[in-house]
Amino acid sequence: MSKITRRDFIKLTGAGAATVALGSLGYTTAAHAANGPRVVVVGGGFGGATCAKYLKRADQNIQVTLVEPNTKLVTCPFSNAVIGGMRNIDFITQTYDALRTKHGVNVVHDTVTAIDAAGKKVTLKSGKTLPYDRLVVSPGIDFKWTAIAGYSEQAAAVMPHAWKAGPQTTLLQQKLVAMKDGGLVVIVAPPNPYRCPPGPYERASLIAHYLKTHKPKSKVIILDPKDDFSKKGLFMAGWEKLYPGMIEWVPGAKGGEVVSVNTKTMVVEGKLDKYKAAVVNVIPPQTAGAIALKSGLADDKGWCPVDFKTFESKLHPGIHVIGDASIAGALPKSAYAANSEAKIAASAIVSMFRGEAVADASYVNTCYSLLAPNYGISVAGVYRLTDKGIVPIEGSGGVSPMDASAGFREDEAKYATGWYAGITADSWG
Amino acid sequence: MRFAKLKKLPMLLIAGVAATACSTTPPAPPAKPAAAPTPQVVEKPVSPAAAANIANNCFACHGPNGVSPGSIPSLHAFTASNISDMLKAYKSGERASTVMGRHAKGYNNTEIEAISNYIAGLNKK
Repeated sequence: MSKITRRDFIKLTGAGAATVALGSLGYTTAAHAANGPRVVVVGGGFGGATCAKYLKRADQNIQVTLVEPNTKLVTCPFSNAVIGGMRNIDFITQTYDALRTKHGVNVVHDTVTAIDAAGKKVTLKSGKTLPYDRLVVSPGIDFKWTAIAGYSEQAAAVMPHAWKAGPQTTLLQQKLVAMKDGGLVVIVAPPNPYRCPPGPYERASLIAHYLKTHKPKSKVIILDPKDDFSKKGLFMAGWEKLYPGMIEWVPGAKGGEVVSVNTKTMVVEGKLDKYKAAVVNVIPPQTAGAIALKSGLADDKGWCPVDFKTFESKLHPGIHVIGDASIAGALPKSAYAANSEAKIAASAIVSMFRGEAVADASYVNTCYSLLAPNYGISVAGVYRLTDKGIVPIEGSGGVSPMDASAGFREDEAKYATGWYAGITADSWG
Repeated sequence: MRFAKLKKLPMLLIAGVAATACSTTPPAPPAKPAAAPTPQVVEKPVSPAAAANIANNCFACHGPNGVSPGSIPSLHAFTASNISDMLKAYKSGERASTVMGRHAKGYNNTEIEAISNYIAGLNKK
């Protein structure tokens, strides 16, 4: 495995005089001269953690600093199993210990408040600044808080979004536990594009699983601005089999778009009907994480355009945007896609530092959804970069068969848990 | 019955690969796709860095460097020909799977050889 030193890197940048190169890159001391180039990674979710790890895996000499406010990361994958009472929050909590001790990543628990693209440095909430040679931004999503009348950051204490895992996940789970049998649970699904396309429907399934076991007179209604969703056929067939009459999906064409919510009366107003709920889960419309918007990395729709071979921003050279925040062609906003994009970005960054050609990219997605503890379904895809962008390879991928046996669904539920163990080990382990 | 078999996947894979290795010709060398079923398609060579870009995607399910911490089979104990035989069998449908057939259909034979060599090569470091 070849290593890159900072001296090599300076040679590779092609600057005539090393001192000029140092000056232009903002290095003020010679202390860095013996070390590799510096990468700062913003955000320690699936994208950021994987990218930091794979940079070090490719070349230990690269100085990688990961900035993440939380000392522990609660994952969105399997958070619906926590909401449905199948798992506890510890099961979905990851730490940064292995990134530090096994891989040599400098993990800083702080928040990036500003990115200076021209000066190649980030400012942290603590007041510190971190200079970089390349920056990776993996901030996930943020919410359009004002998109639904009556909803806000404060309203989320009453009607949890639970779309960033952690205290919100526990809150929604506790509201279901406190609900009386016979109550109505309303899930407000978001418009495209959003984090985890099958997520709202897996959530409806696992809430129904909990209700069927503990509060069988209760019902779940999904109010949806869309007329289609990921793995729809498989979800609908599974609901009919597992939870007949318990889950109702109201699509946009039937008034599913929500115009307002009222946290005092617990009334959710759709285009055609009003619903008096016992528990409301509002999953608001989304954008790239706030730091991406603030730093001018997003387009007018709130997502970040990138070069698909390197994930380098089309708006700010030297900054790579990965994960849910990026516009990644046919790749969904999923943990798997973020992990895949992170590896491609890390590989491209290493090649750029070495002055080598960036290798062809290849991307994969696999998303399992649980409809019950022993009933799993999946969607998979292999993607390649073409002149039409990132597209699925013809004949590959797709969803689980509609006519699969109970054994097949059971195997996929088992592999869903195996997937979680694998991807979290690949990202944080 | 079919899925009772699937549950024993890792063991069966090893047994299946061993049988294949004894009864058929070894995999074609990776350089020339002379035996490809569609001779009009020339498979682009895969550089070592591109092979890593493809194969690293496997580790999200199969664990870091193919060492699985969970219910999905590990890859690290397999030889390159074990892995390429399995991927080709998943691709053709000869070997039943839940999701691997859907993945394997995304790669041509040159890419399958490249993935297999990369993963097997990690174990020799």
